[in-house]
Amino acid sequence: MSQTQSLKLGSSDTSFLGRARLVVARRTEGRGVALLAIILVVVSLTQPLVFTAYPVSLGRIALIGLVALGLTAVILMGELDLSVASTLAVSGVVMALIPDVWLGILAALAMGLVIGVINAFFVAVVGINSFIATLGMLFALRGLAYILSDETPVRLTDTDAGIAFGQALIGPLTPRVLIFVLAFLALQIFVSRVKAGREFFAVGGNRQAAYDAGIPVKRRIFTGFMISGFVASLAGVINTLERTAADPRAGLTVLLASFAAAIIGGNYLKGGRGSIVGTLIGATALGVLQVALTLSGIQVPVQEIFIGLILLLAVTTDPASLRAVLGSIRSVRQGRSKSRA
Amino acid sequence: MRRSRIGLASAGLMAVAGLTLAGCAAAEEEVATEAGDTTEEAAPAEETFDVYALLPQGNDQAYGTTYLPPMEAKAAELGINLTITNSEYDGDKQASECEVAVAAQPDGIILWPAIADTIRPCLEAADAAGIPVWVTNADVNPEDAPLTYGYSGTDSYGQGAASAEIMCEIVDGAEIGIIQINGVTGNSVATLRGDGFRETIASDCPNVTILAEQPGDWVPDKSQIAASEMLTSVGVENVQGMYAADDSMIKGGIDALKARDLDPADFFITSIGNTFLGNPLVVSGELDGTVFQSSSWDGENAVVGIYNAMTGATSQGRDDEGSVLYMPNPKVTAANASDADVAPEW
Repeated sequence: MSQTQSLKLGSSDTSFLGRARLVVARRTEGRGVALLAIILVVVSLTQPLVFTAYPVSLGRIALIGLVALGLTAVILMGELDLSVASTLAVSGVVMALIPDVWLGILAALAMGLVIGVINAFFVAVVGINSFIATLGMLFALRGLAYILSDETPVRLTDTDAGIAFGQALIGPLTPRVLIFVLAFLALQIFVSRVKAGREFFAVGGNRQAAYDAGIPVKRRIFTGFMISGFVASLAGVINTLERTAADPRAGLTVLLASFAAAIIGGNYLKGGRGSIVGTLIGATALGVLQVALTLSGIQVPVQEIFIGLILLLAVTTDPASLRAVLGSIRSVRQGRSKSRA
Repeated sequence: MRRSRIGLASAGLMAVAGLTLAGCAAAEEEVATEAGDTTEEAAPAEETFDVYALLPQGNDQAYGTTYLPPMEAKAAELGINLTITNSEYDGDKQASECEVAVAAQPDGIILWPAIADTIRPCLEAADAAGIPVWVTNADVNPEDAPLTYGYSGTDSYGQGAASAEIMCEIVDGAEIGIIQINGVTGNSVATLRGDGFRETIASDCPNVTILAEQPGDWVPDKSQIAASEMLTSVGVENVQGMYAADDSMIKGGIDALKARDLDPADFFITSIGNTFLGNPLVVSGELDGTVFQSSSWDGENAVVGIYNAMTGATSQGRDDEGSVLYMPNPKVTAANASDADVAPEW
């Protein structure tokens, strides 16, 4: 019965509005867009400097967003990668320890890929839950960063190269922002236009069905974790160049901000639903908000309350969550009325 | 229909969030304006200044909690509008906050480096924008000092050395082994205090051997665990003393001794801070000595320093008289722990 109805709806509603409604219904970025719109309006009224000093705002968005983009590849498959912050730190240290900048960059990026392979091995081959496997890597890599750096920040041999890297390259855009844009485009094309990328959704949506459909699930998990590791190490390279030194404690605030950006952007932590565009929207919302709060001189604890509330709003306003809450309320009410009767 | 209701509910929640954001931002602005009005009245100079204070801690830590009020009071007195940030010792976050501060083009920046090695680009950006930078609490690296207008705060190396001098004095030539609890790894204050203690022990009393070192991250609980682990690894029977880079950490170390039914009074123990935690330990005899540090002096002089820089009293570099203001750090032992001039502040 319901199948017939949906078939009728699908075939009859072919107008522009109907098709637009269908497209909107399929997208997961709605809440992120609404939140971003509100933030942009409020910030434009209270802290217009956020927009006039847009290179700074773009830099903050790229700082939060780059790691979040890589993380999204894993989240789409219903997995987590808690090791991204430590990957960022250890990659930066590896890079700074090598006197030749280019060789250092290559070694750091290779390190990110290797970390991704190890994470994926534990998850896809050994069968350990990704939360636990990457939690272990989080501690192991942080320890490795401390050992390699002798527990102190490692300065780049060529600090001038680092300072030059932080300067604007095209107009007001720094290499960090340009790399972020390129990473976004590459990942967006990968998950929306490339077969292997589109299969991430199938792996996250229903793993057994993905196996049955002949999708190489293990290979996809390896690909996802390698993307996450590579992008985190890329962020480590950029941070090290811009700061002219690698800090073994780097990335302490990156992990939570990256998850927040992905969640605000509508990515479903259990996998199968979400988008790279959503993560970009989430990172933009968070970045703009953080710059505005910093300019306002609002203390960190208050900033954390803001971000926490927004995260809660993003999660609780998910249609599935709302339906679940409404369903629970309804069943509680029905239970009470039955017991009264 | 149900979908539209859900949509409406979502929009409602978003609107509430937006209004809350707007309300809070407006409230902050009002507070800032009020502070600005007050400072205008209290300022000895006619001019008012906008200053960003890029700090790595604030009300989230004991020192920051008592550092901020004197800083804000002094700023109000001198007609300075302060915008304070807290990077929570994250170098990347502080660098990003510095970019925001430079974009806002204030009259000056007070900088307490989270990680001294990563602060050079921030100093370069401020220099290019013509914004004077005054360093507080933890100095920048010597090669970066010419980009700043001066430094006020502790001589962190000297504090570690002073704590070592107390240790050498009380040990009085005896051959002993001690354990060392350090601050957050990579933090410049932690590094300098550790170096000051270690090198002074090596030069002044080589009869004292540092058997093991572990970070306690400025936190008592973590320090207790670190001390307990070191006692196990080197053997309690080999340990006769303990040093921690901070009073809150020595509290953890002393608790580790007590947990093993050991009397702290039987050990040679020194620290740094003379805080509300450390001073009573000195009075009770559990802690043999500590080094006084004034958070109010630190906060006030950061503002005085940037005021001097903005009004031209000090120029860029460290050549001017008054471009380096070291906080007095007297040693505190049982003999003077109850004196008013070393009363704990934090």
